[in-house]
Amino acid sequence: MEKEIIETSLGINRRRFLSRLSLGLGSVALGSLLIPDLFRGSAEDEAASIMSGLPHFAPKAKRVIYLFQNGAPSQLESFDFKPKLREMVGQDLPESVRMGQRLTGMTSGQKHFPLAGSIYDFKQYGQSQAWISELFPHTAKVVDDICIIKSMYTEAINHDPALTFFQTGAQQGNRPSFGSWMSYGLGSENKNLPAFCVLLSRGKGNGQGVYSKLWSNGFLDSIHQGVQFSSGESPVLYLNDHSGIDKTTRRKMLDKLAEMNDISYKEFGDPEIQTKIQQYEMAYRMQTAMPDITDVSKEPDDIVKMYGPDCLLPGTYAANCLLARKLSESGVRFVQLYHQGWDQHDNLPKEIVGQTKDVDQPSAALITDLKQRGLLDETLVIWGGEFGRTNYSQGKLTKTNYGRDHHPRCFSIWMAGGGVKSGIVHGETDDFGYNIIKDPVHVHDFHATCLHLLGLNHEKLTFKSQGRRYRLTDLSGKVVNGIIA
Amino acid sequence: MKFTIKRVAESLLFAANVFILFLVLFESKMEFPAWLQSVGRMHPMFLHFPIVILLIAMVMEFFRFSSNYSSQEFYQNFTSSFLLLGVLSASITVIMGLLLSKEPGYTGDTVEWHKWTGLIIVLFSSLVYWCRNAKWYKAAVAKISAVTVTIILIVAGHLGAGITHGENFISTPLIANRVIEKVSIDKAIIFKDVVLPLLNSKCISCHNSDKAKGRLILDNEENILKGGKNGKLFVAGFPDSSMMIHRIQLPEEDKKHMPLTGKPQLSNDEIELLYQWIKSGANFSKKVIELPETDSLRIIAAKFLAPSGEEKYEFAEADEKTIKKLNNNYRAIFPVAKESPALNVDFYNRSQFSAKSLEELSALKTQIVSLNLDKMPVKDADLKTISQFENLRTLNLAFTDITGEGLSQLVTLKNLKSISLAGTKINSKNIQPLQNIKTLKEIFVWKTDLSEEDIIALKNVNKNIQFITGYKNEGPIPLNTPIMLTVNNVFTDTIHLFLKHPIPGVQIHYTLDGTKPDSAHAPVFNNGLVLDKTAIFQARAFKDTWLGSDSIMYVFYKSAYTPDSIRFGSPPADSYKADGAKTLINHITGDLRIGNGKWIGFQKDMHLFMQFGKPVKLSSLALHMMKNVGGDIYPPLSVEVWGGMDSTHMKLLQTVKPPAPVKGDIPSLFLVECKFSPTNIRYVKVTAESIKKIPKWGTSPKKPGWVFTDEVLLN
Repeated sequence: MEKEIIETSLGINRRRFLSRLSLGLGSVALGSLLIPDLFRGSAEDEAASIMSGLPHFAPKAKRVIYLFQNGAPSQLESFDFKPKLREMVGQDLPESVRMGQRLTGMTSGQKHFPLAGSIYDFKQYGQSQAWISELFPHTAKVVDDICIIKSMYTEAINHDPALTFFQTGAQQGNRPSFGSWMSYGLGSENKNLPAFCVLLSRGKGNGQGVYSKLWSNGFLDSIHQGVQFSSGESPVLYLNDHSGIDKTTRRKMLDKLAEMNDISYKEFGDPEIQTKIQQYEMAYRMQTAMPDITDVSKEPDDIVKMYGPDCLLPGTYAANCLLARKLSESGVRFVQLYHQGWDQHDNLPKEIVGQTKDVDQPSAALITDLKQRGLLDETLVIWGGEFGRTNYSQGKLTKTNYGRDHHPRCFSIWMAGGGVKSGIVHGETDDFGYNIIKDPVHVHDFHATCLHLLGLNHEKLTFKSQGRRYRLTDLSGKVVNGIIA
Repeated sequence: MKFTIKRVAESLLFAANVFILFLVLFESKMEFPAWLQSVGRMHPMFLHFPIVILLIAMVMEFFRFSSNYSSQEFYQNFTSSFLLLGVLSASITVIMGLLLSKEPGYTGDTVEWHKWTGLIIVLFSSLVYWCRNAKWYKAAVAKISAVTVTIILIVAGHLGAGITHGENFISTPLIANRVIEKVSIDKAIIFKDVVLPLLNSKCISCHNSDKAKGRLILDNEENILKGGKNGKLFVAGFPDSSMMIHRIQLPEEDKKHMPLTGKPQLSNDEIELLYQWIKSGANFSKKVIELPETDSLRIIAAKFLAPSGEEKYEFAEADEKTIKKLNNNYRAIFPVAKESPALNVDFYNRSQFSAKSLEELSALKTQIVSLNLDKMPVKDADLKTISQFENLRTLNLAFTDITGEGLSQLVTLKNLKSISLAGTKINSKNIQPLQNIKTLKEIFVWKTDLSEEDIIALKNVNKNIQFITGYKNEGPIPLNTPIMLTVNNVFTDTIHLFLKHPIPGVQIHYTLDGTKPDSAHAPVFNNGLVLDKTAIFQARAFKDTWLGSDSIMYVFYKSAYTPDSIRFGSPPADSYKADGAKTLINHITGDLRIGNGKWIGFQKDMHLFMQFGKPVKLSSLALHMMKNVGGDIYPPLSVEVWGGMDSTHMKLLQTVKPPAPVKGDIPSLFLVECKFSPTNIRYVKVTAESIKKIPKWGTSPKKPGWVFTDEVLLN
């Protein structure tokens, strides 16, 4: 951004400079002294090259709905069935399986690592005969529409870095969020709504925080930032005009404001001023677009029954799923949900029931609903947390109670729609549910695959900041062809 | 001395010229000793000298007659000697090149052209050298000669580079920037679209018709089947006995390994592809989709192909200006992808839609492949406009105002694959014309008046079309519970109860006697229900087509008197002091969570003192308490209530000993109520005796237990 300001104050940028003064090497050398980044291509040029907001190739998915299960749901009570853990319940995790891999500070002090099998039963469903626990009866019904990945793994072992890694491709924060990259790469479909919306909800289980850095635009233009919706009755605050202000007055006021902002842009050249002008304009258009979307009172009874009655209770996961469908249907590129409360270090059997009750029906309903609208083909739905949970009990193991610590070496997520192969299970873990034995999928691979489905080459979707080109997938990531239809 | 060297060099040049002519004329009839091969192979290295030297010499020759330099003796001498050196080294290079070209593999047009251009350079520049001091050799001739030699030099060099590095070596990076479009798996032929592109990218630079190393040419079926000097390339069906597979699988250090070290190597997938292709019989005409889906060759080939369904559009791109002009906030027009001529169009905001906004799209009628009019007030008449969009694949008319009468106009859409009519007033007759569209795969008809019989009948007409009828509820599901809006649950005289429920039209029934409400007998709840005494309130929501909700239960306590001051004898534990003693008369009780600031906790006896401004007639005092043996929270051993008109003369009014907990008691809330004969008092003292030694079966045996209370009720 600093560079843009310098360029404006000089009344010149690389292109203009070269086209005006294409006389000889001397003037070019002079130019490079005046503008440090002269030969590196400005962010603006780079943006212009992809900012036509078009996929690199024909996409399978146009939109994403990411149902983030914040706190890390246990794979061993959901999609990764391990009868061996039941047989060996109470016995110590063999060192041959653990292989000295690191544990969190919460269990590294434990003298024993008693293996704990799921107390919930599993059955096989659908064409893939996927094992799904009894806690997810609705998900089991849509098993032929989803692709379960049992071999996800990550590098982080604690919530915040792991979550940040999943959302931004780096553990440290301050990088652009997945949704921001998508907004940057594909632009918005519906110019009357933000391209990237964030919806929060909270279960009764032990929770972990989510912070706005997770939907930050990082070094990208702030127009790509996620817009967090309020969990209350009115999801977008301050959208209504004050009494006494009609549309005409509002329009006049915005025009005048834009004029003044433009003056200050011409003086300072800060691109954030342009962003601001655009955002005021969008807010103005949102005033008419938003009420239609957030008003769920017109949803027919059978849709309400499909998502469960909580979908009319603002701020619940079910309500957010319904809202996500409505936003996505209206062309919002990326809808990010977070449902908190999955951090079951203790009391897992009891707490997980509450969590699954919150999410199972609405998540499955979202799939069904998108499908009947013909939208599932073009919408990529992702369900999953930031890592998995240990196969041994944290704290005391009893017949009816146990806890599970963080486990980054393997965990399960599912994806659906948007060009993902449906009705398959990808990857396998060992009998202990501790290590991956087939088709591992790293977080970078996951991002690369998602971008691929969206018609974006993850190696080409770059942005230069502070002298370096950045990608969502950093320096690695391989498209997982096995899950692409 | 210098002069002499020059003479020798000139003689050498002459000899070289003669030798070169001799070589060229009798090349085909000559056999060379092996050591000369090595000399020949130095051609690619040595050639850099003549290029550089000749280029510089020619630049100097160019300016030789200019007034600045014509009189400078050094310039003239240097040019002359340097030119000689250049021509001489060029001659040597050409000799080496001619020797190298005798080796097998150097045939073809490029080699021929390179040979002749190289030859021309030597002969022409030699001529320049011999004639440059002649009288007729003036500035103009020098310039023309210099430019001519330079041009031929560049051409020869470029041709040579093509032989060594492969054709288009220099231009490849420029071309590679274009996205190479993968062929769709639906259309791909295994050899032409998968195997051949691989050979082209990794093998053909050495095995082409110009530079057929090992006499192997990998550019078409005929040459591939012919094989090379070592025999056939493969045995169809037997990859493990095929030379090609053997050579590419050798370790990279092996000198027989292919591709040669330093050249771009084959990836594992690529090796696997060649292996599977040969294994399956090395067919040259089969399509990928002719193979079964589980076939290894098909699976590996799919990795090199665009996934199925990726359509190729044949029509021309629309004018960018037109797209830009028509694109607005409520009508989004986007190409399917970069450089794709196909367009997606989405309409937003019902109030902004008009028939005109659709008509304007006629300018793009060839390019629109997907049109989304979901929830727009589209009328039957507007379908005429849509019917011109000849390449339309997907049409969404869900929840529009069409009646269905106009649908027959859409039969002109010869490419239509999917149409959504959900939520419209169509009937089964309207759909029939659409069934004549051969490409049509799916029709969305949920939320329409079509009956199941209609749909069965429609399906029978055209079995290729799928009807999407939407979600069917599987029997009734329970409602969610009502939500209590009244915050306090302790009151002095009366309390108004307010509930809400997210589902419109529910009826809430309630009881006050501890029984579970049902819809038949329990009274209907109206907001603002007034309670005037302690009661257990239960409520459930009911609605047609739903199951009744779970019951919510709240206990509302009456506490007729509120003390004017309240304090503890000694303070509670730091972690559980909430808002101090006031917490006990704040008219809100807590739940089983102790850390939420509603509970007061003591790990010792609790002494509570209350004072009233005016005397009150008290007959009952109750403590609302918690027990949770797992968390070391026990009921008090005893609760004593003392009272009197002044603080120094209080008498014991009542002692209550709550039942002791037993092992395995579940956490719960309870009331310890002390009743006594009505007494006028101003001062009250309450003592709750905590357990000093937790029983053996407890979580922390022998340690002191806790007492927890959150409200005191005075009546």
